[in-house]
Parts: sequence; C-alpha cells; structure tokens
Amino acid sequence: MDTELATAKTKSNTFRFNKAKKKKCLSFLMFLTPAFLFYALFMLIPLIGAVYYSFTNWNAASQATRFVGLSNYIEAFTNDPYFKESMLLTIKYTAIVVIVQNVLALLIALLIEYRNRTRNLFRTVFFMPNMVSLIISAFMWSFIFTIVLPQLSEYGLSLLDQGWLGNPDVAFYSIIIVAIWRGTGYMMIIYIAALQGVPVHLKEAAIIDGASSFQNFIHVTIPMIMHAITICVFLTLNEAFKVFDVVYGLTGGGPGRSTQVVALNIFEEAFSGNFRYGYANAKSMILFVIILIITIVQVYVMKGKEVES
Amino acid sequence: MKKTRLSSIFNLVILIAFGALSFFPIYMVVINSFKSQDQIFNSVLQLPTTLHFTNYTEAFSQINIVQALWNSLTVTGIGIAGIVLFGSMAGYKLARTPGKLSQIIFLFFMSSMLIPFHSIMITLTRMANTIGIQGSTVGLGIIYIGLGVSMSIFLTAGFVKTIPKELEEAAKIDGANEMQTFIKVIFPLLSPILVTIGILNLLWIWNDFLLPLLMLTNVNDYTIILSVNTLFGEYNNDWPKILASLVITTIPLITAYVFLQKYILDGIAEGAVKG
Repeated sequence: MDTELATAKTKSNTFRFNKAKKKKCLSFLMFLTPAFLFYALFMLIPLIGAVYYSFTNWNAASQATRFVGLSNYIEAFTNDPYFKESMLLTIKYTAIVVIVQNVLALLIALLIEYRNRTRNLFRTVFFMPNMVSLIISAFMWSFIFTIVLPQLSEYGLSLLDQGWLGNPDVAFYSIIIVAIWRGTGYMMIIYIAALQGVPVHLKEAAIIDGASSFQNFIHVTIPMIMHAITICVFLTLNEAFKVFDVVYGLTGGGPGRSTQVVALNIFEEAFSGNFRYGYANAKSMILFVIILIITIVQVYVMKGKEVES
Repeated sequence: MKKTRLSSIFNLVILIAFGALSFFPIYMVVINSFKSQDQIFNSVLQLPTTLHFTNYTEAFSQINIVQALWNSLTVTGIGIAGIVLFGSMAGYKLARTPGKLSQIIFLFFMSSMLIPFHSIMITLTRMANTIGIQGSTVGLGIIYIGLGVSMSIFLTAGFVKTIPKELEEAAKIDGANEMQTFIKVIFPLLSPILVTIGILNLLWIWNDFLLPLLMLTNVNDYTIILSVNTLFGEYNNDWPKILASLVITTIPLITAYVFLQKYILDGIAEGAVKG
C-alpha cells in the first residue's frame, strides 16, 4: 500500500515535471519562432540556395538548370579577367579606405576631445554626411565633381580641374573621396566614445612620469581604445569590400570598366549583363570567403592586442 | 599657458577646416537647388539672387514625392517594427534560457551577420518571387525583418543580462503569463536598447538602395531613394531639378537627426561597443 502510494506520488511528480518542461518548451518556441521564421525565409534559405546554385549553370535564358560541379569556380579563377581586375581594385580600394578613414576619424575625435564648448557642434557637423544615403551622396558629389570643382579651379586652383569622373585614374580616387566623406563621421563617433572611457588618472600618471603628449598617446591612449580600433577596422573593412552604391551612383563602374568593384561585377553578371545567376553566385561565394577570412584574421590579431582597463 | 593657448587655436583651425570640407558639398547642393540652370553654370559658388522654387515644384510633379515618401515610410516602419519586436522577444528568451541549445541557436543567428548581402541577393530575389512578395512595399519591409533580426537579438540579449530577474518573478507570482510579463514588464525596461536598435535600422533601411532596386518593379511602389535614382538617370544634366530632389530626399533624415541627435550618436557608440 505504501509503495503503491509512493509510486503514484512519483508518477504525479514526473507528470508535473514533464508538464512544466513542456510549458517551458512551448514558451521557448513562442518567443523564438517569429524571429526564426523571417530569418529562415530571407537569410538562411537564400544562403543555402546561393551555395547550391553556385555549382549549377542556372541562368535566365535556359530552362533546365544543371549541376556543373566546380566549373563556375574554375572559370572565376582562371578565365574571367574582369572579375580578377575588379577583385584587385576592390582590395586596393579597401586598403586605402580602411587606413585613411580610421586615421582621419581618430584624429578628428582626438581634436574634438580637447574642445569644451564646441564639442557637440563639431560632432554634429562631422556626422552630418552620414545621414545622407550613400547613393544620394554619390549624386551630390557628381554635382561637385562635374560643376563645382571645375568652376572653383578658375580661382587659381588649377589642381581642381581634373577629369574627376571621366579620367580612369582619377575616378578611382573620386570614389574614395566620397566614401571617406560619408563614412568618417560614423567611426569618429565610436572613437569619441572610446576616448571618453580612457581613465584620466592613467594619463595624469604618465604625464607625472614625464611622458610627452605623443608618448602618452602611443602608450596610454592607443592601448586603452584598442577595442574601438578593432571594431572600427572591422566595420570599415566589411563595408569597403562590399562597396556598391557609391560606385554605382558616381561612375557606374566606368569609364569603361576602370572602376568596376567586385560587387558591381557580380551585380552586372546577374542582373544587367549575362544573367548567369549560377556563375554570379559562385563569384559572390568567393567574395564571402575572402571577407570571412580577412575579418577573422583581423579580429583575431587585433583582439590579442587589447588590454583590460 | 601660452603654449596650450596656441595649440588650442591650432586645434580649432584644423577642426574648422575639416568641418568646412565636410559641410561644403551639402551647402553647395542646397544653395544651387534654388538657382536656374544658367546661374548654376555661371556662378555656382554665389548665393542665389532669385529663389527658383519652381525647381522644387517641378521635382515634386516629376516624381510623385508624397507617394514615394509614404512607400519609404511603409518599408521602414514594417522593417523596424518587426526587427524590434521579434528580435527582442528572441533575444530576451535566449538570454534567460541557460544551456547548450540556446547558445547554439544564438550563434546560429549571429553567424549570419558576416554574410555579405551580395551573396544572397540573387536567391533572395527568387525567394521573394516564389512567395509572391516581389514588387510590394509591405513585402520589402518583411524582408528587412529577416535580414536585420540577428543584430537585434544580439543587442537585446546583451542588455537583458543587465536586468535583474526579480521583476519577472514578481510578475509571475502576480499571475501574469509569460507574454504579458514580456510586454508589460520587460519591454519597457528594454527601451534604451530598443531605441538604439530602431535608430540603427532606420539609418540602414531608409537609405538602402540595392534591395529596393531588386524588389520593387513598379514606379508607384518606389521608395524615395529609388525615385531619385530614376530622376537622376532620366535628367542627367537638368541639375536644378536633380538638386531639388536631392534636398527633398535628405530633409526627412536631417530633420530626424536634428531632433534625435543625442539618441542617434549615443546609439551608434552603444551599438558598436556591444558589437
């Protein structure tokens, strides 16, 4: 009788336990399903599809999509000079933009740090370009490059009289100018926040020890804001590799193909040139892997240099 | 003392020079948007002598700006609402559920943040076509939920860990079910991070170009950015009209910036530090 009662009790306990677990499970599902649903539909499935189709000859022209193995990848690496050129151009662009943008943003942030009354005013002004959409920035600068600068050059500034968008060598730098004009303010905000987190007593201690302000910057400030540098380099690196809007709006990849970055090359392959979707997917996978490797290495290396305050 | 004074002036001069460079293009576009084509070609630097408001009225009639603004608002509104609500629900639950499973799910969402949009754009277009939302502004807004929800989960999960559990437990004892607890107790507590998420996504979605270009096919559904793109392509040298439309497009965000400045700038710093 006693044992029976005990078993019954355990039974009801397990039952209650299961019920609680079930309820927990249900609420877990209830909270996660909406996010997961949208994520799966518009991120996960398209990604899986993109990987799959990169091994096929899927295109707009033919009906039958066939599996073609690695041939898309082989073509991209060995038989597509435009893709190769666009990739090299993008790497060059990325190197310049990442360095200039971060150095400039940090410099401006440092200068602003020393201001008291005008700090907010300058923050506002420098961030302003970031509110203008990338493609609109490109259109604004088209106006500056084709109308304003040639007229300015008449005031003895002959340096400004360039084929800003028409000369293949100059057009590349015109794109960089716009990217830096628009992007620097965002990084500056992050750097200012980081600089405010540097403990004053550390700087004071360094000054008492006889450090010059430059030494102070190199040995105290830089290590203390290393996490912000990691983040900003990561963000600019990612953005620069995927650059599209500015080039599309400013030069359309021209003159000729001289400013065709890799994202534009993929776009052209898929939507305006050949409509070879499978092949464009293969190229986009190559871009993905390159960005992935470079950012992982960057974060890994720079994280190692961070210090705790 | 004298030296610091001097360096302070030097500092100010450099900042003003950089600031002027930063502001110059916007200033040029604004003043020239009130000029005639002739004036632009002859004296681009001078302030307009007479204000040509016709540039604006013509730009207004050329692209249906009211409609375009409404379209942008629809897309951005749906996108942000979904990202904020669904992202915070998932982020909250994942942060409050210990264990391997929720860690794996969390990483699973996070891994997508490295995927370049260009890698999924083709198949995403096909997906939109298959489920029949290509060409609709509502559909476009919904797509943004899928693309942006990971970041929202990430930021809320980090924030939830700073909220004490006692409040939820108290609500539970008072007989509230979990959804009620979330909506009435947790959601208000999350508001600082939700504002950050909302702002970051506002800047992204409102200004985005490539996805609307791929998704919207009918001119009547175009967002403001797409409309200006069309105008720029069609009237390549009609600068007065183009400049006026550029100014109109930029005004909503600049206005938002003036009023929400503190939140926007703090939000960016916050979002980056957490990231």
